[in-house]
Amino acid sequence: MIYSKKVVTALLLALFTISSLGSQAQSIGDAKNGRKLFKSNCGACHKLDKKVVGPALAGVTERRTSEWLLSWIKDNAAFRASGDADAIAIYEEYGGSAMNAFPFLSDQDINDILQYTIDGDPVVVPQGGTVATAPAAEPADYSLQILLTLGVLFALLLAILMKMRNTLKIVKGEDPETLIDDLKGIWGAFARNKFMVTIATITVGVFFLAELYFFLMGIGMEQNYQPVQPIAFSHKIHAGENKVDCNYCHSTARNSKHSGIPSTNVCMNCHMMIDGSEITTDAGQLKYDGEPSPEIAKIYASIGWDVDEKKYIEGFEQKPIKWVRIHNLPDLAYFNHAQHVTVGKQKCKTCHGPVEEMDELYQYSELTMGWCINCHRETKVDIENNAYYEGVHDKLEEKYHGEDITVDKIGGLECGKCHY
Amino acid sequence: MAENKKFWTSFEELGNTPIAQKMANKEFAEEIPNEDFLGDAETLENTSTSRRDFLKFMGFSTAAATVAACESPVVKSIPYVVKPEEITPGMPNYYATTYFDGNDYASVLVKTREGRPIKIEPNKEAHFNGGTNARVQASVLSLYDSARLKEPMMDGAESDWNTVVDSLRTELENSENSEKDIALLTNTIISPSTRSILNKLQTKYTRFKHVTYDEFSVSHKLDYYEKATGVRGIPHYRIDKAKVIVSFGADFLNGWTGQNIDSDYAKSRKPGPDMSRHIQIETNMSLTGSNADRRIKAKPSEMGSALAYLFNKVSNSSVTIPVADLRADLKMAMDDTAAELLEGKNKGNSVVFVGGNDAHLENIAFAINFALGNISNTVALGDTVFMRQGNDTDVVNLLAEMKAGKVGVLMMQGVNPSYTLGDKMEFDEALAKVPVSVCFSEKLDETASQCKYALPTHHYLESWGDALPKVGIYALTQPVIKPLFNTRQPQEIYLSLAGEDNNYYNFLRAYYDRKTAEVGISHAWNKVLHDGTLEIPLTAEDLWEKEVMFVNSHETEEFVYDLLTSADALKNEAIGGKFELAIYQKAGIGTGTMANNPHLQELPDPISKVSWDNYVTVSAADALDLGLIYEPQSNGAINGSYVSISVDGVTIDKVPAMIQPGQTIGTVGLAAGYGRKGIGKAGDGVGVNAYKLMSDFSRTYQDITLTKVDGEHEFAMTQLGRTMMGRKIVNTTTLDKYLNEDSEQWNETPMFHTHEGHKEANEISLWEEHDHETGHMWNMSIDLNSCTGCGACVVACHVENNVPVVGKAEIRMFRDMHWLRIDRYYSSDMNDEVAEESGIGVIEKFRKMEDPGTSPEVYFQPVMCQHCNHAPCETVCPVAATTHSSEGLNHMTYNRCIGTRYCANNCPYKVRRFNWFNYNGNDDFADVNPAQDDYGRMVLNPDVVVRSRGVMEKCSLCIQRIQYGKLEAKKEGRAIPDGEVQTACAQACSTNSFVFGDVNDTSSQVLKEKGDKRAYHLLEEIGTQPSVFYQTKIKNA
Repeated sequence: MIYSKKVVTALLLALFTISSLGSQAQSIGDAKNGRKLFKSNCGACHKLDKKVVGPALAGVTERRTSEWLLSWIKDNAAFRASGDADAIAIYEEYGGSAMNAFPFLSDQDINDILQYTIDGDPVVVPQGGTVATAPAAEPADYSLQILLTLGVLFALLLAILMKMRNTLKIVKGEDPETLIDDLKGIWGAFARNKFMVTIATITVGVFFLAELYFFLMGIGMEQNYQPVQPIAFSHKIHAGENKVDCNYCHSTARNSKHSGIPSTNVCMNCHMMIDGSEITTDAGQLKYDGEPSPEIAKIYASIGWDVDEKKYIEGFEQKPIKWVRIHNLPDLAYFNHAQHVTVGKQKCKTCHGPVEEMDELYQYSELTMGWCINCHRETKVDIENNAYYEGVHDKLEEKYHGEDITVDKIGGLECGKCHY
Repeated sequence: MAENKKFWTSFEELGNTPIAQKMANKEFAEEIPNEDFLGDAETLENTSTSRRDFLKFMGFSTAAATVAACESPVVKSIPYVVKPEEITPGMPNYYATTYFDGNDYASVLVKTREGRPIKIEPNKEAHFNGGTNARVQASVLSLYDSARLKEPMMDGAESDWNTVVDSLRTELENSENSEKDIALLTNTIISPSTRSILNKLQTKYTRFKHVTYDEFSVSHKLDYYEKATGVRGIPHYRIDKAKVIVSFGADFLNGWTGQNIDSDYAKSRKPGPDMSRHIQIETNMSLTGSNADRRIKAKPSEMGSALAYLFNKVSNSSVTIPVADLRADLKMAMDDTAAELLEGKNKGNSVVFVGGNDAHLENIAFAINFALGNISNTVALGDTVFMRQGNDTDVVNLLAEMKAGKVGVLMMQGVNPSYTLGDKMEFDEALAKVPVSVCFSEKLDETASQCKYALPTHHYLESWGDALPKVGIYALTQPVIKPLFNTRQPQEIYLSLAGEDNNYYNFLRAYYDRKTAEVGISHAWNKVLHDGTLEIPLTAEDLWEKEVMFVNSHETEEFVYDLLTSADALKNEAIGGKFELAIYQKAGIGTGTMANNPHLQELPDPISKVSWDNYVTVSAADALDLGLIYEPQSNGAINGSYVSISVDGVTIDKVPAMIQPGQTIGTVGLAAGYGRKGIGKAGDGVGVNAYKLMSDFSRTYQDITLTKVDGEHEFAMTQLGRTMMGRKIVNTTTLDKYLNEDSEQWNETPMFHTHEGHKEANEISLWEEHDHETGHMWNMSIDLNSCTGCGACVVACHVENNVPVVGKAEIRMFRDMHWLRIDRYYSSDMNDEVAEESGIGVIEKFRKMEDPGTSPEVYFQPVMCQHCNHAPCETVCPVAATTHSSEGLNHMTYNRCIGTRYCANNCPYKVRRFNWFNYNGNDDFADVNPAQDDYGRMVLNPDVVVRSRGVMEKCSLCIQRIQYGKLEAKKEGRAIPDGEVQTACAQACSTNSFVFGDVNDTSSQVLKEKGDKRAYHLLEEIGTQPSVFYQTKIKNA
């Protein structure tokens, strides 16, 4: 094992050196960092190989000078205002939809992003590479096989024993007994034994009561609730395939109690350009004859977007989209997204599950009080890195002698923290 | 012989009367209303449904209901189409604006959620009057009043604005052409831009005239100061500088002139060598009088002579006012008062007010202030307050012209003369003679319903506006919500009528720019809008656009009226019949414009503790004379007699009478603002209209008739106990003791003798101590010295915590839901010393202690959940629905509560409230509970759950605010600075009685308060260790 690990490392190192040598001549930044920045800042509107809201960016460094790109990315509006003909031309080409300004990106950051547009996504390396990335094989679950084998063995043993007994009986000149006779005998013995009957009745009774209990406890629990939405919106396409950050649409989750359902104008940031008319069938035909996808058209019907003219219809009576709410906490429970997302630094997935794999969203978690409490018991509070806890930290340390400070230790299980 | 014994359940049975026999034969004394319950008996008999069928239906519907209940409803989540940039769903936004309704003025912050205003908060950074009273706090609910006028009405039918404005313009032109007056009757307008619009109307229509009318008029005072200074307005009383405050009938802590005197008052009342002394001479037991160090009872007819007598005592001028014979005790009281006013250290640092509406009383008071050197010091004469502008003479002239048919068009804004002008003034008759009447009103009220045009106006939260409350202060009003109904601001109509562009916002902007440029200050409009107020060197003449001259009369001894003339005038006025009447404003309802606001109706009167009512207040002696009953019933509630009351031939037939300790003998009081019509389900017909009796613009009448009439009135009051029975509930001491004696003498710590020696109550306990060191430990200090009992905190708590309104019938059963109540106690003439001196036995002593004295002192004590750290409620809850938090709070978990009410029984402070009904859904409460309609529900705080039937609720110390404050701090990674988290009550209090904070924060104000020698816990001896504590009340006596 040690040997193979070393070999893999050596191989990877060699590969990395070769690839970096190859691109050293034109390297302007760190493509890895660039990729990260691209995903978080540009990915919503740009792809490397495909025109989305904005143009495809692969090879953009060949089309424009780096000075031009720097000015454009930092503040394209100001750049346009400065009268650059190319800038104005590209703005008009994309229907006057302005790109965000990114004043917070440093020159190096932008160079990193540009490097990424040159290098593209890292290529999956065959041979050695696959070995390195494959997850360690989990210990296989053999318990079922063992059980089955044991079952077969016991059945065999039983059959042999019965056969032996019958053989002995025949030898002794008695009538052999069948399995049914045996069962009748056992039942008779059981029915005569009051103790056994009582125990059995209690067991069955408890079983039914338990079932009833779990049925009743399940009332009002809506795990896996998956209502049909007014628009067949797929989180899989948006969050999964296109890797749109959750916070892009559910922007208020960071500040507010509500995560917020995006208003239609947020959808339009991308769907101004993406109308789904390019979707093809498996046979390669245009699926909607070049018309917008009927689902995306519902967005246009809400806000009043003229697809042909590429502009908003003036005086349109806008209609909000009436989504069906999936995660319904009762009024008596107060839940705040900001507390969990910003302060507690929880991932959306923790409660909402693998949203990026859900074509149609469903309720992943139980959303019961036991479920909340359980998490509060297990989740550690990051008190070192928040000045709010200054002073409290030492006292908690003293009180719990180095135990993990979980949410319940700072009052996270108190009734009034969620019920008021 | 035992079997021969007979037991009687009552004396009637002993007499074996026929009624008793009948009752003995029946299990229930009263007929059981089975028929009513089951409906029409005949239909019931003819029905074909058998008992079996009934059971089948019953079984089926129960099963169906059970199955249906398992299914969760589908909830829609509807986002904006285009989200406004400033709105983050779930986060509040605050906007600064200005409240002025002709009576109260306040600079406020409006808290909005998702674009809906849900709470009014004081703008503590405002330059003037940044405090709120109960009415201002409640005003947000009036916005959502579904009884508001929703469409413009013309000739009793709905119309549209274009038609109305066009037709109105024609009417005005017709009137102008036929040489008839175009009159505009308004309440006080302090908006300079509106005045500017009115000037435009004046230019366009020569027959236009503007008449100002205040319901609680101080017109004669204004005339006086206009003569003295040239400016129509009242001096700014700097009560914070005053060492001696003497008020003759001025209820300055409640409305009065719109000046926010209560916060200044509290400043002067800080215990210490400089604490002010407050002497109140008054007729009714007013809110102000109940806070006085010394309260002197006087009839309205005695005020003049008492004032004149005081003048003679304090003045060293050659003039002596002849004084009619004054009661000996009043004379003595005036001698004492004079001595205190003349004391060296108080020189120039006292203030003498008079209430009412009398120029001659004002003249003598001014002379006293002059003699004492108070002018320009505590009586800031040039610093004029403009919040009262009414002119009685103009109103009388207008009425005469209306009757004479000289008025072609009468427009009214902010007034309701049909309701507020006395019957004697015959407004309705006069109105009938005006061909075109226009009323700008929020309601189709008494006046609007009689007008040809009833035009709905914006609520102030929907309006633009500006205000000049006082010299040097300019404030803006901005809308915080789009108008809910098809309403318009009167200003827009005036602009249209004046032939201008009808956009008032544009006009206001232009006006602001022009005016600020004129005085050479550059303040961005948005900044002023953000701050709410602006200090500017603009004076009245700049803004009112008229020339005025300042007459420096206060530099000479030349008063506006000769003092002797004033004395003569007062002598002629003083009649002094058997009964005298003083009409007053209640702390809740005020002038009655918001009488349909359930929060204000439900707010118990600070003094009488009666809600949903007005009544005649009489002294116990007079009640005995008149044979009035006033007694508790079997359910604990009080029933009282009715009286009829006549003033100058105007009679109210049936007014309930309430015995008020401290009421001057031979006088009665009656609150205005009740007996409304057409303003909505909650306010219509509650109480009687006292304005009816006002035959002129004064509010005191010296010869009235009072007779007992048949019937008993059912009062709904929240507190029956009147005295403290010699216990330390409101701890009180005198300033002298406070300054010179050890605190154990006047603020004794209860000690118990144990086997380990003497111990404080807090040190002996069955329970384990909670950890109070880690994290926050929220505490609240309530200063009983600065609490005036006004009730702003009660309403603020109501609005913040979605406390249900329950209505009169429930209050009468003591089922009020107030999380925060203000207990009122009277002092008794009986105490331990008196009992010992006169050798009275214990039983007799306690019996006498129950009665308040004839001139009692009054104490107020706000009581909410005390958040005991060893809470009696927590230990008795069978389901652990009430638990203790690590932050010193007592949590109440509604969804866990099963309603045993053990906790309420075990609570020594009686602060727990039980939801007997589903108040927001039960039809019985449809008239009173605002949360029953879609508009009223919009004011509910979305962060606080609306409790349902069968659960207990109580004060949470605004835990939603604590949690919000903590979260904001955590998000920003900082500690919570002291004072950032405020409970609704603490925030609403203009006198800063409440100090809320974290005692684990060593820099916190509340920690300082906790260590104060005045601090004590309520019922400390029972060892509950509350997180709420009180500060001893100090009387400067």
